[in-house]
Amino acid sequence: MKKITFLFLLISTTIFAQENYTISGIVKDQLNGETIYGATIYLNGTTIGAQSNEYGFYSISAPKGTYTLTISFIGYSEQSQEIVLDKDQKIDFEVIEETEQLDEVVIESTESESVNIRTPQMSVTKVQMASIKKIPVVLGEIDIVKSIQLLPGITNSGEGSSGFNVRGGAVDQNLVLLDEAIIYNTSHLLGFFSVFNADAIKDITLYKGNIPAKYGGRVSSVLDVRQKDGNNKDFHLTGGIGSISSRLAAEGPIVKDKGSFLVAGRGSYAHLFLKAAGEENSASFYDLNLKANYALGEKNKLFLSGYFGRDDFNFSGAFENSYGNASANLRWNHIFNDQLFSNASLIYSKYDYDLTLNLFEFDWVSSIKNFNAKYDLKYYASDSFKLDFGVNGIYYDFDPGQINPTTDDSAINFLQLDQKRAFESGVYINAEHKLTDKITANYGFRYSYFNRLGGQSMVLYENDQPVVYNEALGIYESGNPIGETEYGKSESIKNFGNFEPRAGISYQVSESSSIKAGYSRVAQYIHLLSNTTSVTPLDVWTPSGQYVQPQLSDQYALGYFRNFNNKQLSLEVEGYYKTVNNRLDYIDGSNLIGQNTIETEVLNGESRAYGLEMLLRKTKGRFTGWFAYTISKTEQRTPGGSARGPGINDGDWYYSGYDRTHDFSVTGSYKQNDKWTFGANFIYQTGRPVTYPDGQYTYEDLQIASYAPRNSNRLPSYHRIDISATYVPNKRPQNKWKGEWIFGIYNVYNRKNAAAISFGQNRETGANEATRTAIFGIVPSVTYNFKF
Amino acid sequence: MKKIIYILLVTLSFTSCTDVIDVDVPIAEPRLVIEASIDWEKNTIGNEQLIKLSLSTPYFDENNIPMVTGADVRVINENTNDVFIFDDQNDGTYSTNTFIPILNNTYRLEVIENGETYIAHETMTSVSDIDDIYQSTENGFDEDALEVNVQYTDVANIENFYLFKFQKVGDLLPDLIDMADEFTDGNQITMFYERLEDEDINQVEFAPGDVVDIHFYGISKQYHRFMQLLISQNESGGPFSATPVALKGNCTNPNNPDNYAFGYFRCSEVVIDSYTFQ
Repeated sequence: MKKITFLFLLISTTIFAQENYTISGIVKDQLNGETIYGATIYLNGTTIGAQSNEYGFYSISAPKGTYTLTISFIGYSEQSQEIVLDKDQKIDFEVIEETEQLDEVVIESTESESVNIRTPQMSVTKVQMASIKKIPVVLGEIDIVKSIQLLPGITNSGEGSSGFNVRGGAVDQNLVLLDEAIIYNTSHLLGFFSVFNADAIKDITLYKGNIPAKYGGRVSSVLDVRQKDGNNKDFHLTGGIGSISSRLAAEGPIVKDKGSFLVAGRGSYAHLFLKAAGEENSASFYDLNLKANYALGEKNKLFLSGYFGRDDFNFSGAFENSYGNASANLRWNHIFNDQLFSNASLIYSKYDYDLTLNLFEFDWVSSIKNFNAKYDLKYYASDSFKLDFGVNGIYYDFDPGQINPTTDDSAINFLQLDQKRAFESGVYINAEHKLTDKITANYGFRYSYFNRLGGQSMVLYENDQPVVYNEALGIYESGNPIGETEYGKSESIKNFGNFEPRAGISYQVSESSSIKAGYSRVAQYIHLLSNTTSVTPLDVWTPSGQYVQPQLSDQYALGYFRNFNNKQLSLEVEGYYKTVNNRLDYIDGSNLIGQNTIETEVLNGESRAYGLEMLLRKTKGRFTGWFAYTISKTEQRTPGGSARGPGINDGDWYYSGYDRTHDFSVTGSYKQNDKWTFGANFIYQTGRPVTYPDGQYTYEDLQIASYAPRNSNRLPSYHRIDISATYVPNKRPQNKWKGEWIFGIYNVYNRKNAAAISFGQNRETGANEATRTAIFGIVPSVTYNFKF
Repeated sequence: MKKIIYILLVTLSFTSCTDVIDVDVPIAEPRLVIEASIDWEKNTIGNEQLIKLSLSTPYFDENNIPMVTGADVRVINENTNDVFIFDDQNDGTYSTNTFIPILNNTYRLEVIENGETYIAHETMTSVSDIDDIYQSTENGFDEDALEVNVQYTDVANIENFYLFKFQKVGDLLPDLIDMADEFTDGNQITMFYERLEDEDINQVEFAPGDVVDIHFYGISKQYHRFMQLLISQNESGGPFSATPVALKGNCTNPNNPDNYAFGYFRCSEVVIDSYTFQ
């Protein structure tokens, strides 16, 4: 409680220090009425200023006087206005885009992408869709998840692998939010594409560390993706025709300047990849994004957003497979007064997986769903003190698997794995506090509480050991069940509470440079079970409970930030050190799918990661782009613990699958003239740790591989170059139809980057072979985008 | 459920291209390999048994497998204390013709080789009868391809584990399939064996006249765990397969645990049959 008292003391001292007045309002794009996130509003000649929040709201307070107020958001014309500050006032801004082209083949990147050296927030990356759209991509399919991997500290397991890894974290350690709804699987077609339709997305923010207190539940990162609100001035259609999918989005006012809607759809062409396997196989995906908002007076605004996406596979009728995310969010923005902004959200999201194996006459379904209620407030106490605080609660429903026979004479019996329920809640408060003109700090905490609810029985094991080391055979085995405890629906199986302090400080060394330091502790209560190299769509989430502990991470970061050449260039250098406790590791031969007692397959381990990241960006001029380099190390260790025995890899530290010693990328875009823009990427990564055989022997007339310790070898390094050219045909200003062509070549020098190397015996010759799986060689593509 | 993952893996393999490359792999010290498969063909005496000893080699070594001679090999029935000495045939095999198999009895294998003693325990496990063997085209992945079906009935309310070994006469390598009754307890189960065309390895669909040898073993839970891992690691390796791990059998070295032997000591009742496609 001491901390809270201290916080309130701070607030009161800062509030009453001076006689202040407040200016507040909403920043919007003049053309389409979209609210602008991250515009800078400041009083000329002072250090007083603020950034607009995710709903475009800003509030600044200053002593009585006459000022020139300036609003800037690069890519947009700067606006200034004389104001006499002798009372509180409300000023809404409509900013005007500098170039008026189709999806701005922008020369200038946005202000929010150049480094904000003043705020203590670090380890954060904000990317505008306009920048992402310029990055060459495989088959011309714009992909947020792939694009952020060009930034330092972010990797994945290669093409065709789902999700992404942040600073050595696992895929399930990323909190992925689409309009605040949790997205459990970010991939389409087993990882070839991401679920985010570029036409429906406004901006994305990725926190790699120093995670703000308002977020919790995942230990590595937060990817906050916001959908467009929809144009509230005119009706527009945008769309594109690509080699993989086509897109169409419609947006327009519901009531002009009061409310708007957006509906966006994307669908792939079926039979895409599986042609080689015959006409009977197909793979396809589609997405539907919805958004509507309506202002009820000046102080209230309602938002409704939804997402529905699905993947379908059909393998010659022998089996069908379908999975996807669905989410909905109802939000209510309320401005209490010019200093207090609030948002309440009711959110639902679900991920489900369905596999019908006609071949074996059964159907397998699993799902995870959650209901989330959340209330966030921001109090702009004064120029030097702002406070974020709020509460949220998430109810989870886990259905890890159900097997249904699909025919009367199926050999498969009905089976329902135990359904699990949990409630996760959090309360947070965080202050952004300008201590001096040069030093700004943010500090606060989140308290999270997780209640694993009853409604199921839990198996009890001999000596309380769900996994036990078989001394004689030298292997880990399931423990010996000795009974069950039945928990009623109103009972709680296990509770956890965690205090999660978050803090950051920035020291402005000069006008254009600063040093920042940050610390965050984050707890994670639900875990994706996966013992495969890449996570698969059928991996199952499991909550913490009697046997599975919550993951707990501590991350420290230190960085140097600098803008130079009149903000044309920015440099960010960050070092980090991160530890995660209670990271699950899997025993040899673990069986995770269709497993009712997960605790018999896992051991409790820990991981640690450290690295140095460098990002040099050029955000203005004809040539824009960045250069990113990361050197890092990620390891994990799993001792035997209560199961006894040596643990995994003898309980020693070993490379986790996400370790990449070097990760280097350059991406650039050059605007030749109004018609042509060219883009290119180069990516180099150390190969990921894998397990190779270190011997062979004959058994049952087969040559059997014996394997070296886990992850003690590495794949060859990964590298490629992609290029793209965007052509905007001559357009007449009076013509409403605007189109552009994007030509791309992915992996120009056709490097066969290994997604995996497998070892096996050639069935014809009997000789052992190493077989490389390479997903994409050189891939040309053409996409046509239009706006009407 | 591993089967499902394997099937998914098959789909993925159609979406990507693969090629055979040279890879430098680590080389471990050679280790003793014990292939002690006490297979008792149903309705026979089961007196003739063979155990093979060899050494492991570097992964890409294509020389002949070094066989191990001069070892002392015996199996003891722990219920009856009968001792069966396996005679060294000086070619890496050790044999006896006095073995007495008894269902559910526990046997102990002892191998003394190069001063080290290896011990394993296993229970003689029964197998169901095969109800029917027939050919069809409509089962399996491809509705037009021939497959052979083996039908058996699982014994209800007890855990049963099985191993199938299919080998087309003339093929170099057998195909192994492990089965548990976790999801099929007490049911009549049909296992199919089908060939899909694969130009890379000169594989064609089954045709009339092809002969498939069928072995159907009843196996212990522990051996099933071993074979499940062996089989899945033997046929996998794509991005969606599990990280490969050490494969430890039941041949332990109590005095020097790290120097355990590869392979397994199994005691299984087996139904042996063959099918000729019409």
